[in-house]
Amino acid sequence: MMQRTIPIAILSLSGVILILAYFSPLTTSWGETVLNWFNVLAAVAFVLGAGNILRVNLEKISSQRPGWAYAAITLVSFFAMLAFGLFKLGAVPNAKYPDIHFAGDYETTASPYGWMYEYVLSPLTATMFALLAFYVASAAFRAFRAKNTESILLLGTAFIILIAQTAAGMFLTAWIPDDSAFAFLRFDSMRAAITQHIQTAGMRAITIGIALGVVATSLRLILGIDKNYLSSR
Amino acid sequence: MNQTNRPDRSDRRDESNQDPASTRTPVKSYRLLWISLAVLGFSLVALRTAAAQGEGASPEAARDLWTTLGIWCAAFMTLGIFSFLYKDNPFYKVCESILIGVSAAYWMVNGFWSTLVPNLFGKLAPGFVQSVAMPDLPTPDSPTLEMSLAFVPLILGFMLLWRLAPKGGWIAVWPVAFIIGTTAGMRLVASIEADLMSQAAATMKPLVMFSDSVDEAGNAVRAFDFWATMGSIVGVVGVLSVLTYFFFSVEHKGVVGKTARLGIWFLMITFGSAFGLTVMGRVTLLSQRFEFLFQDWLGIR
Amino acid sequence: MTTPQRGSSNPGLLERLGSLDRRWIFLSMGLSIALPILLQLRFPEVPGPMARATFDAIEAVPEGSRVLISFDYDPASAAELQPMANAMVHHCASKGHRIVFMALWPLGKQMADQTIDQVLLNFHPDLEYGTDYVQLGYQAGNEGVVKLMATNIPEQYKTDTSGTKLADLPLVGDLRNTSDFKLVASLSAGNPGAKEWVQYADSADKEAFTLVSGSTGVQVSQLLPYYPAQLEGMLVAVKGAAEYEMLVEEKYPVSKDAERIGQGRVRMGPQLVAHMLMIGLIVLGNLAMISGRARGGAQ
Repeated sequence: MMQRTIPIAILSLSGVILILAYFSPLTTSWGETVLNWFNVLAAVAFVLGAGNILRVNLEKISSQRPGWAYAAITLVSFFAMLAFGLFKLGAVPNAKYPDIHFAGDYETTASPYGWMYEYVLSPLTATMFALLAFYVASAAFRAFRAKNTESILLLGTAFIILIAQTAAGMFLTAWIPDDSAFAFLRFDSMRAAITQHIQTAGMRAITIGIALGVVATSLRLILGIDKNYLSSR
Repeated sequence: MNQTNRPDRSDRRDESNQDPASTRTPVKSYRLLWISLAVLGFSLVALRTAAAQGEGASPEAARDLWTTLGIWCAAFMTLGIFSFLYKDNPFYKVCESILIGVSAAYWMVNGFWSTLVPNLFGKLAPGFVQSVAMPDLPTPDSPTLEMSLAFVPLILGFMLLWRLAPKGGWIAVWPVAFIIGTTAGMRLVASIEADLMSQAAATMKPLVMFSDSVDEAGNAVRAFDFWATMGSIVGVVGVLSVLTYFFFSVEHKGVVGKTARLGIWFLMITFGSAFGLTVMGRVTLLSQRFEFLFQDWLGIR
Repeated sequence: MTTPQRGSSNPGLLERLGSLDRRWIFLSMGLSIALPILLQLRFPEVPGPMARATFDAIEAVPEGSRVLISFDYDPASAAELQPMANAMVHHCASKGHRIVFMALWPLGKQMADQTIDQVLLNFHPDLEYGTDYVQLGYQAGNEGVVKLMATNIPEQYKTDTSGTKLADLPLVGDLRNTSDFKLVASLSAGNPGAKEWVQYADSADKEAFTLVSGSTGVQVSQLLPYYPAQLEGMLVAVKGAAEYEMLVEEKYPVSKDAERIGQGRVRMGPQLVAHMLMIGLIVLGNLAMISGRARGGAQ
């Protein structure tokens, strides 16, 4: 009962309350309470994530697995950032309540936590994703092959969009008047036609498909038909 | 936060499979090339720094110590991540390890101060939170009821953290069930309304379109709009053909097969356009990092 | 007896390109972006219909209205979205709208702070905190936050980021839910973001407010079906930012630090060269494939 019936009941009840909250104003406050709990649990999930990183890296260090020194670096940076933020070390005092240490602003660059965000976390995150520009180029060179009708359509569209998104698209077909019968050959017209008609239609169908999937899965979960999550332990 | 995955290392493995004899010579030349680039870069930095010191009153020299230190730190972090482009190396791995540690702590700290303190502890012990951290935190209208209700997420939160314990994994299933149930309840209604009904309504539009204008005499004129009509037809045909392709209960043969094939073409054009837009996004991210290196770090403007 | 083809032991240039070390591609991509930045290449932009729709949607909101701007991104997407944020905040402030800032991403609060610092305090120093703008910051919960805000904002946000309770801030003191805003803008890099604002806030009260978005190139496809019925304006990647910047600057010019609402146009320079490189790489890759096939067929 503790391991199956109660979790199924919790899931169904929370799901049904939120559905009811949408249809009946009388149950809106129930929905708000459930959402409040949900949002608090989302914050607890961050603690869980941090705990997991701690566990994995401590295991790596204690068993001296290859790369354990990097695990130590991870832990040092983790604890440093945690101490700066959780204890608000070096935080700028609150103007209204200067005597209350924990009321201070810990996110400004004048504090160690804010400094770490600005000059460590921010550049690292941004550069990690910036690397993808190089890999997109490499993948395009190696994998984009016009082998059949489908890939030719994909490549052709990509070419048009790549050109039309830049000033080159404007210059190359600027000589075609806006109001002429051939205006559809202008790169900006082609881009608009592709994104606003063809791509929108394709994505609309995908969105409808995903929505049907979400509805079916949600119903299966709330009605207790799908119980796969019980094995997540 | 679902963003595109970080670059994987499959490319590198591909290279390691190449014949060693065929790669030996080029590797040396690459080393030379990269060492030259590094020397060039650092010379430029040294020159800029020397120039800044010489100028004395220039804005670069006037920067306070922590900002300067920060910019240098950010530059090394940026170069550390970029160094992966040459090959996996300790400099990159150190930066990667720092990123994991710092971001995990950042998320946890932000979740704690922004959500847990006001919305959980503020209800469990409002007086304590007001005296220690948030003096202006509003006192709940009915403190006893709010406090009682706040025990639910508190207990569920502890049960969720039980996942870290080696035994009793089933305990964490309760909060997981709550999270899944709430998400299912939210998404069920939202998907029907915003994604199913609204998208179906957006598809069901007149196929033949007219445009209204006013002639020189000031009379309203209604004319057949060819391109708008084409747009409407393409929109409807596109949605229906792609949905047909997704419909697997009927074998894709005959008319269904041809419609599904048309659907694949629509999808290919969709993905081609998405690729073009993705390239644009990635290039922008890289240009911002280069702007930082050239302008903020090296001072080239 | 077959004699070996002359080229089989000595592959042509195109075939050798097929096995080109990827680091040469990396180098060419790096140069294609670095050189335009160093040479400060700039190109003119012509505002497209989506950027114009976004501009018009914000213009159409009555002067002095309460607007909500949600910063649903982090530094990894700031290159695309920060130019939009800067231009949008300058636009709203110039139009006299009163702005409430918030974030669905943990690092989004810092992004909003950056815009407040660089744009609001720089171009509109006369605006007063609490009356003209308020920073609510980040709350955990993803779509749960949007869904709760759609019915009860004070239940979600007890205070602003400095710890002042909402009742003490004139701009947000009487806020009940998202229907109390005339405009909601989501600068979105993924989930949670503009899609959640459409699904949970717009669906809760379709007529109450205008919803616009600015999104990264990667997320545009996901949002296109919502335009223009659910999203009345949409800025598409950095090009959308550049076009919108032009429209904003044309109507609300700034006398100093113009680059702060011109970053989008600056970043369009490298786009041209990098896109041409991408096209060249795809063509070269295909030529190498065709050449390889031709040789295979000949043998």
